Amino acid sequence: MDRTLTFRKLIWRQGLWQNNPGLVQLLGLCPLLAVTTTTVNGLGLGLATIFVLVCSNLAVSLLRSTLQPEIRIPAFVLIIATTVTVVDLSLQAWWHDLSRTLGIFVPLIVTNCTILARAEAFASRQPPISALHDGLAQGIGFALVLIALGAGRELIGQGSVFADADLLLGPWAEGLTVQMMPEGWGLLLAMLPPGAFIGLGLLVALRQYLIQRPVAAPLTQDMNTRTAQT
Amino acid sequence: MSLKRWKPAIALIAVGLLAATILAGLDRLTRDRIALEQERRALAALTELLPAERFDNELVTDWFEQPVTGLERPVRFYRARLDGQPSAAVLDLVTSRGYSGDIRLLVAIETDGTIIGVRVLEHRETPGLGDRIEIRRSDWIRQFDGASLDHPAPDAWAPDRRGGQFDTLSNATITTAAITDAVRLGLEAFDSLGDALWTRESEMQGLEIRPDLSQNS
Repeated sequence: MDRTLTFRKLIWRQGLWQNNPGLVQLLGLCPLLAVTTTTVNGLGLGLATIFVLVCSNLAVSLLRSTLQPEIRIPAFVLIIATTVTVVDLSLQAWWHDLSRTLGIFVPLIVTNCTILARAEAFASRQPPISALHDGLAQGIGFALVLIALGAGRELIGQGSVFADADLLLGPWAEGLTVQMMPEGWGLLLAMLPPGAFIGLGLLVALRQYLIQRPVAAPLTQDMNTRTAQT
Repeated sequence: MSLKRWKPAIALIAVGLLAATILAGLDRLTRDRIALEQERRALAALTELLPAERFDNELVTDWFEQPVTGLERPVRFYRARLDGQPSAAVLDLVTSRGYSGDIRLLVAIETDGTIIGVRVLEHRETPGLGDRIEIRRSDWIRQFDGASLDHPAPDAWAPDRRGGQFDTLSNATITTAAITDAVRLGLEAFDSLGDALWTRESEMQGLEIRPDLSQNS
């Protein structure tokens, strides 16, 4: 019992911090860089990614005994593509306005290697419950990076936070938008693709700074944890 | 030849069949709803320009398409009628001269050729600069309200940067010019059709919604 609990903790710590898909594995950069122009975009893609990751992890884990090594990758790709299509069609049918705003992002999830990586590295070797936790942890870890990058770019590029929240969350969310700077203020670079790269670079650097700060820690131990991560 | 050798292939086929079944089932389940939602949204976009009391026909289905030189896709002409009489036309047109890709516009025109209003449906212009063509970001697009082919005069039908009458969005000269030209081309197409605009057969067959730009490419 205690061991499973420790394992759970490890899964969550890996997903959120030590092995974060956005900041450490640097997977899923295509959607990460492309859509994070605003906080709401980041949040929207984050939610969709979490859902797909959880579903595909669960499906892969349930089928793991049936899927021999030879056909693993094509089977994973099939499962992921199916999940993404299910999400896309369901959004279009039952949350049509939301699907209008997320429209282009949802198919982009297919290009997110995090999902295939989790299926291969984790879900295909673990029972469904652990795979579920891993999907949630990695998904939330990825979503947090999306939101942070989106918020940073939006703040610098447009001077606002949570603009157009009502498109994603419904009319009640209109009040969430905070215009920090006067209208028309903003550094255009942050909204353009280079701004995405610079922003992500800064986030990665910040994380590196935070983990390397305790200089007192013995160097060898530090080296060990780093190899373990890769 | 043992069965064991074939096991992976059979497993993969099974997964494929399972995926196909799920997707086919979901498609059947959602197809009608998606079409309905798209129609609702198409109507919502049209009625934003044209109040519901301006027409009593099935506006969403009363249209035909015709190619117009200078515009990307054939222009779709929606016809609003009130008591069987022409009331207004709404043009759904796409220009490819935007700064970063196609811009899709709706242009509502009175029977006498005066613009009721213009709205941008889809675009990929630069956030913060070109996206001020959206009505929720700025009033810029409203300057076309009330314009017609001879008001302003034909040689002034251009952004002010090019000696015309219309305001240019700062740092978005190309975007401005693309929309101004597209609106003028739409008006010219409306004008050249004359009475044919109102008498032509509707091309609508069944429920057929115009695909978005993103789904085209």
